Amino acid sequence: MSAHTDRRHHVQSLLMRESLVDKAVMTSTETPVVRMLPEAHVVKIGGRSILDAGRSVVYPVVETLARILATKKLILGVGGGVRTRHVFSIALDLGLPTGVLAQLSAADANGNAHILGTLLAPHGVVAIPPEMFGHLLPLFIHAAPGVIFNGVPPYSLWEHPPGVGRIPPHRTDAGCFLLAECFGCKSLVLVKDVEGVYDKDPKGHLGASLIRAISATELERRAVPSLPFDRVLLRLLGTARLLKQFQVVNGHKPELIEAAVNGEHVGTIVFAG
Amino acid sequence: MDSEGLTNFSEALMAGSLTDDQLIAQTGRPSLVNIIPDANVVKIGGQSLIDRGRSAVFPLIDEIVANLPRHKMIIGTGAGTRARHAYSVGLDLKMPTGVLSVLGTFVSMQNARMIHYLLAKHGVPFIEPAQFAQLPLYLEERRAVVFFGMPPYTFWHQNPAVGRIPPHRTDTGVYLVSEVFGTRSMIFVKDERGLFTADPKKDRHARFIPKITVAELEAMDLQDVVVERAVLELMKAAENCRSIYIINGLEPGNLTRALNGEHVGTIITAD
Repeated sequence: MSAHTDRRHHVQSLLMRESLVDKAVMTSTETPVVRMLPEAHVVKIGGRSILDAGRSVVYPVVETLARILATKKLILGVGGGVRTRHVFSIALDLGLPTGVLAQLSAADANGNAHILGTLLAPHGVVAIPPEMFGHLLPLFIHAAPGVIFNGVPPYSLWEHPPGVGRIPPHRTDAGCFLLAECFGCKSLVLVKDVEGVYDKDPKGHLGASLIRAISATELERRAVPSLPFDRVLLRLLGTARLLKQFQVVNGHKPELIEAAVNGEHVGTIVFAG
Repeated sequence: MDSEGLTNFSEALMAGSLTDDQLIAQTGRPSLVNIIPDANVVKIGGQSLIDRGRSAVFPLIDEIVANLPRHKMIIGTGAGTRARHAYSVGLDLKMPTGVLSVLGTFVSMQNARMIHYLLAKHGVPFIEPAQFAQLPLYLEERRAVVFFGMPPYTFWHQNPAVGRIPPHRTDTGVYLVSEVFGTRSMIFVKDERGLFTADPKKDRHARFIPKITVAELEAMDLQDVVVERAVLELMKAAENCRSIYIINGLEPGNLTRALNGEHVGTIITAD
């Protein structure tokens, strides 16, 4: 069939005239992927767990990050913390949909990115505006020891309806995960205020026990009622090609952040499988 | 934080975990506001319509213009054959899905610009995602806007379960605009009558399906479907956009009938 017989003007290509919904066609596109930033580490600094916790928690974390930045390239994402929870609660009460909540949440995380950027400015690390962050990231990473972005993925009005409730499913943990996956980064460390993943919420249960390492499938199967990260990460790990695990560490013990970036197992590792 | 004036729910949300199932379920309780309930979202296919050029596009533009006095339209564009070319080149060079998403965005942007120039003399603007705040004004003043269908996920695009092609392409991006704004309809303008049991361009025995639910469609486990599978997946979770129309834009009058709420083509419903 020539390019013109169906009256659609095609460009000659492997996928020409194909339906991108066809299962066989999709299977044919399973190819390897390049790593754009294989030496960079993505570290997500929790909003509520770290940045909202005040100077006694934040300053030691900043000192640790500064030390790591002397030898490692860091992409720092931040959460929106309690202000995001507040704007969610108001917007929900007003009957606004998930996409609007997602759009609103970017502002709080942006504020937190600028707070962290102010503290790390002496080290040449600043918050980059989200509009230019993705496209210029390799340039920034080669020019500076690290960069900061609001961890919010740019889903905004295009956020997926979650099915249950209206909280955007792709929040700042997911934004950091997707970025690390796309750029083929070396590791993802989620800095929180707990030692890792527990079988029960450690804030309400004295007998909760820490899980040191677990697969995404097993964690999903156990249906732990409260996880210290966006639940969507379990699904994203299932389709990951480059980032096959992440580690959750307690930022109230800042030395653990450095250990985790060095590849040590100091919190909970959740791996694909 | 001063909690005066906040409900118990707000306090629970600020103190609790966003992965707590009970808390999350509560967030769906308030009745949803429909932000732009009187507009229709219309998606113009890339490979199916725009790649055919003038013979397919001009009659459709005429029909859009004829409907402006009666119907507000948020018009999104597909990408089409150049996206397939870019994806092919990108796959060969081992590009990740997020980069392929960026490439697809550029192509759907070209198509949006072309459709926009054809509607420009009627005062219809083209808007990028950052300009969606002006959408209600433009609809009120000019009755329609044109946008590119690709959702703005770029490097944050999720991997598909199989292969490398971005799973949330222009059908999904346009569908989510209908869902978030609570519009009165979501119409996909393609070059087939609607949904068939197989690709009617490749299988002469393909059977037409006028109306079907997402569950029924999933049970059929078709090799190919007329809209992105992600749309069907999202429909199950949607609060506003629980049905979509697929119509043949090569037949004059179909868009008008669909805008008037008549059943032309295929209707897929969430339940």
